[in-house]
Amino acid sequence: MAGANGHSSGDPGATVRVGIDVGGTFTDLMLVDDARARVTVHKVPTSPADPSLATMTGLRELCELADVGIAAIDQLLHGTTVATNIVLERNGSRTGMITTRGFRDLIYIGRHRRPKTFSIYQDLPWREPTLVERRLRLPVTERIVPPGEVYTALDEDEVRAAVRRLRDEGVEAVCVCFLFSFLNPAHEDRVKEILEEEFPEAHLSISHEVTPQHREYERFATAALNAYIGPKTSRYLRRMNESLHELAPDSDFHLMSSNGGTLTVDGAAERPTQLLMSGPVAGIIGGIAVGRSAGFDSVITLDVGGTSADIGVAPGGQLRMKHLYDTNLGGYDVMVSMADLDTIGAGGGSIARIDAGGLLRVGPQSAGADPGPVCYGAGGTEPTATDAQAALGRLRPQARLAGRLELDVAAAEEAVGALGAQLGMAVEEAALGVTQIVTQNMVNAISINSVQRGFDPRDFSLVAFGGGGPLYAVDIARELSIPRVLVPLHPGITSAMGLLASDLKYETQRTVMLEAANADPEAIEAAFRELEAGGRERLQTDGIGEGARVFQRLADCRYVGQAYELLVTLPPGPVDADGIERLAEEFEAAHEREFFYRFEDTPVQIVHLRSYAIGVMPELRAEHLEQGTATVPDDAFLDRHAVLFADGAEHARHDTPFYDRMKLLAGNVITGPAVIEQLDSTTVLPPGVTAAVRADGTIVIDIEEAR
Amino acid sequence: MTTETSRTPLDPVTLGVLGGAFQAIGLEMGHALKRMAYSPAAQQVEDLGGGLFTREGLEICESDTTPMHIGSIPAYVRGFMRRLEGRVEPGDIIIHNNPYHGASHSPDLCVAIPIFDEGELLAWSASTIHLSDTGGVFPGIAIDVHDVWAESKIYDSLKLYERGVRNEQLWQFFIDNTRTPSYVVGDTEAMIAAGRLGERRFLGLIEKYGRDTVMQGVDEFLDYCERMMRAQIEQVPDGTWEADGWLDDDGRNRDQPLYVKAKVTVEGSEITVDLSESCDNVPTGFNVPFGGSVLPGIYTVIRSVFLDEATFTDFIPQNDGIFRPIKVVAREGSIFNPSFPRSALSRVCPIMRVSDCAIIALADVVPDRVCAGCSAVGVGVYTGYIPELEEYWVHVEINEGAYGGRHGKDGLDAVDVLTVNSRNTPIEETDWLFPLHTVRYELRDDVEPAPGRWRGGMGIVRENQFVKGGAFTSETDRAYDPPAGLFGGGKGTTLRLTRIDPDGAEHALHSKHTNFTMEPGSALRWQQSCGGGYGDPLERDPQAVLRDWLDELISAEGARNDYGVVIAEGDGSVDHEATAALREERRAPGAGT
Repeated sequence: MAGANGHSSGDPGATVRVGIDVGGTFTDLMLVDDARARVTVHKVPTSPADPSLATMTGLRELCELADVGIAAIDQLLHGTTVATNIVLERNGSRTGMITTRGFRDLIYIGRHRRPKTFSIYQDLPWREPTLVERRLRLPVTERIVPPGEVYTALDEDEVRAAVRRLRDEGVEAVCVCFLFSFLNPAHEDRVKEILEEEFPEAHLSISHEVTPQHREYERFATAALNAYIGPKTSRYLRRMNESLHELAPDSDFHLMSSNGGTLTVDGAAERPTQLLMSGPVAGIIGGIAVGRSAGFDSVITLDVGGTSADIGVAPGGQLRMKHLYDTNLGGYDVMVSMADLDTIGAGGGSIARIDAGGLLRVGPQSAGADPGPVCYGAGGTEPTATDAQAALGRLRPQARLAGRLELDVAAAEEAVGALGAQLGMAVEEAALGVTQIVTQNMVNAISINSVQRGFDPRDFSLVAFGGGGPLYAVDIARELSIPRVLVPLHPGITSAMGLLASDLKYETQRTVMLEAANADPEAIEAAFRELEAGGRERLQTDGIGEGARVFQRLADCRYVGQAYELLVTLPPGPVDADGIERLAEEFEAAHEREFFYRFEDTPVQIVHLRSYAIGVMPELRAEHLEQGTATVPDDAFLDRHAVLFADGAEHARHDTPFYDRMKLLAGNVITGPAVIEQLDSTTVLPPGVTAAVRADGTIVIDIEEAR
Repeated sequence: MTTETSRTPLDPVTLGVLGGAFQAIGLEMGHALKRMAYSPAAQQVEDLGGGLFTREGLEICESDTTPMHIGSIPAYVRGFMRRLEGRVEPGDIIIHNNPYHGASHSPDLCVAIPIFDEGELLAWSASTIHLSDTGGVFPGIAIDVHDVWAESKIYDSLKLYERGVRNEQLWQFFIDNTRTPSYVVGDTEAMIAAGRLGERRFLGLIEKYGRDTVMQGVDEFLDYCERMMRAQIEQVPDGTWEADGWLDDDGRNRDQPLYVKAKVTVEGSEITVDLSESCDNVPTGFNVPFGGSVLPGIYTVIRSVFLDEATFTDFIPQNDGIFRPIKVVAREGSIFNPSFPRSALSRVCPIMRVSDCAIIALADVVPDRVCAGCSAVGVGVYTGYIPELEEYWVHVEINEGAYGGRHGKDGLDAVDVLTVNSRNTPIEETDWLFPLHTVRYELRDDVEPAPGRWRGGMGIVRENQFVKGGAFTSETDRAYDPPAGLFGGGKGTTLRLTRIDPDGAEHALHSKHTNFTMEPGSALRWQQSCGGGYGDPLERDPQAVLRDWLDELISAEGARNDYGVVIAEGDGSVDHEATAALREERRAPGAGT
């Protein structure tokens, strides 16, 4: 653990920490040995049936590579898509619900809005399937009304009958969803007691515990989803925990939550909805760490994989959270805080085609990893984004993408050429067109999260990773006037690095619904102290010393009468009248930034209070490359090829050197055109840009001012 | 559109990039409107829309909100330009709500910002929000109103801002003439802000790509969408088909149902929807503005049939190109093209009903693209006076309907249908913010869904108690004429609207009431109509029948009588042998119906 509280022997500040990111295809691992200032990375194929198998194999191999005994691991941080996959594959557990009489179908009706305006034949995603079947949604007599009074007493006989019926039906999980439970949880609490008594083996999701916030549909849906994924996720986590503790009994095992916070195994098992973005959020945190290490706090992260691209925007190195109205996964609404991350259907495998109206389109259909792009030679016949890059000459046959055999560039050219022929375009124009459309799709997505939220891309750096990020990054940066691109040393394991770059962070929250002008500072102070007591307890359990604990106070605010809140940070120190005034001002500034407007005469309302209890982790110590000069060493040079680049409306082939990333030295400077290859990624430098290799291995690409 | 034959077409990449940019602007305007809007109707219900329009008012792009809003703005632009042609200047902001000159209905105020480049008017950035009150004879919406002057204050082609300066006299007049000034001011300011956003984004495109390219991109992108729509219509054989039905009454003259009829003609790649045989305009506000409501309503459903977003995989945005192949005709003096000065405030039920007819009319020619009859929307406007604020509270509740059965799929239960696509307001907002207590909100359990091979969708029951009293206006239909079944499917279920006294006594109500006083503790119960069935119920998969029985949507008796399915209630399974026998008996010629 951190600092003096660590379990490790020897250097009291030194620890051994491991980050494991289990993705759909690969499990990425990274080990940081603080005592020896060493970082070791490893990658193994994921074992989808039981991801803990590959994880344990990978962990053993990683420790061998790092020359560290497994038992010496102090802390293991895990990012997992287990919960996410249960939702996407719709294979959760049979779930029952106990709810307020008269409101049996709230999770079915939803907000009654159809996602597609112009469609008769659509299905409603949250009913495909409904997480709790109607027959298992059992109403009982009870009612709480605002501000928290019992309007109708809970009928405990009905509750017991409902519990027995659910048990007889063979459900594995039960959610309890009562109206206004966030104002008075007494009825939900009582049902929980009865459930624990009568049905102790069930996984329980109590709506006010899962997310203590108003808006009944969203809260109930979140509790239902939590129940649906609860049994399988908690079994997986406990199995992982046991396997790990057999090998390393003294290690702490934590998970990354969707908002970049930390979860204990028990916490994640109880509230697995907090894991839904566990993997991708670590990528943004990794990108932030890359930026910070290079001296650039504000970053836009771009992770391009085979079928999709994840985009994050972190002004000042801070994760932004999605609005709780926009948090959903796989068609289900989930009212838990999630990092603001945009996923678009644009990746290396995205298929290019001409639609019925004659427009060139790329994606969202994807050739995926199997058969993959045409140039993989594994049976793919439709031209993809990667094939277009190959046709431009940016991928050499010898590049062996993703450890495959030589790329069939000729086949890629042929497929792209056939597409071009339909548009009356030469193969090169078609390849540039496909690349431009992919780039534009990413530019639009970044723009929505930056420019359109009032952030100026000129203040940011673009951190590009994943297999495809560094292929497109410079073009994207130019389109958005982002002044530089950063490509980390290991673009393929940025998420695992993000796990290690993050602090322990626990979140607690409460709905208060107060007008800022009339709010009693002492009452707010007391509420925050209560929230912080919960967080402090968890940090204590994790062995975080007082010195490494940081508490942050935030509030979700809106103008009175509005329905959407913005998350604002409170000024430091105890809450007083001045602090509340500054909070309101901060909210108005945020509102103006996002919507270009203030409602001058309207009071500000504080809707939720939020507390982050943070256990500060040691800074990730950077790897250091051997120092070289500005000139690239001879052994890094691989090859020369004619590569096609566009310059405005013109395009031409340029004689372009190809370099081996692993042989570059700190201080090397490369001017485009150039292509830098490594095992899991390719970085493209168009003519005119200059890249410098930093001591920590990151490549910093300066985009010239004039275009 | 402009036809400069000398112009070289844009390359498909640039066109695709511009098309994507237009779409992004529409979405962003909608996002800004929703987030900033003030009234619960705007922010929760999303009864709003915005987009960009050419200088002539042709739609370039729109937000993904209620289709009745955005599709109507072209008519607003034509409406206010009849007065302002040649007099629009940079910095002007125009407000407009005249239902005889483009407004969807008078509460839907349009705020339009002209986009200028080098002194030339290029386009409009405009939006509409259903304002909670615009100073008519009753709070919010009313049905039984005398004429257009009674329904609302009329703001016709007025410059709220002139060359960047707000007209303070007009603004004060506007504020003084609403019962809900804080909502109305907030919503109007939100529209101004969203409009400025659209303007800024469009000018950004011009700066980046050049004016000629962008304006050519507009033309070509609309042409592209038109081609896509025409290609679909062309696949359908030429011919004329029709369907009709009855609206309950006009909100004043009870027991006088109103006839509506849609005659749909396909000819080549064009489609004509003729509503002329529908009844004459009515003396209340139960008429439909032609430009602002009939057109967008019909465009919405025809597009849904021919370019269904779920089955047509390429995303085709809604814009003027989609509208071009669709021609809508309504006789002057009919309910769908009323004569001045009749009120046309309460237009949602008639336009939805005739849209439903237009779909049913197409059943024989495109049976796998239509659905059986859909239910009516149920708009409830709840109000009361708050003496300490000298203001009214107004809550607009949009009660969802249900779709009719579809080819291969059951009708969607409990969802907004056809021309409306709003959101419900959380009970944890309404019961907290207003003196209302929600007693029930779930699927109806007093009736079973309309039988069919693919059954009709179920409507909801919702019951609201007026804790401190107040008044309601109800705007709904289908109390007498249920949604139609198709191809042997059963008819849907009619609406029931009931007032419940504090002592529990129940009173059946007509579907339409205007400002009906509610005593403290009285409640209003909506049992929304349910969609019609599609196909012979005897063909329904017995497992689907069993599922509905297990989910307590149908009884074992219903399974037997409606579907010929015998359920062994003890072990909760289908008795296949008995089912086969019963179905055979039912199918026999002369079997009782």
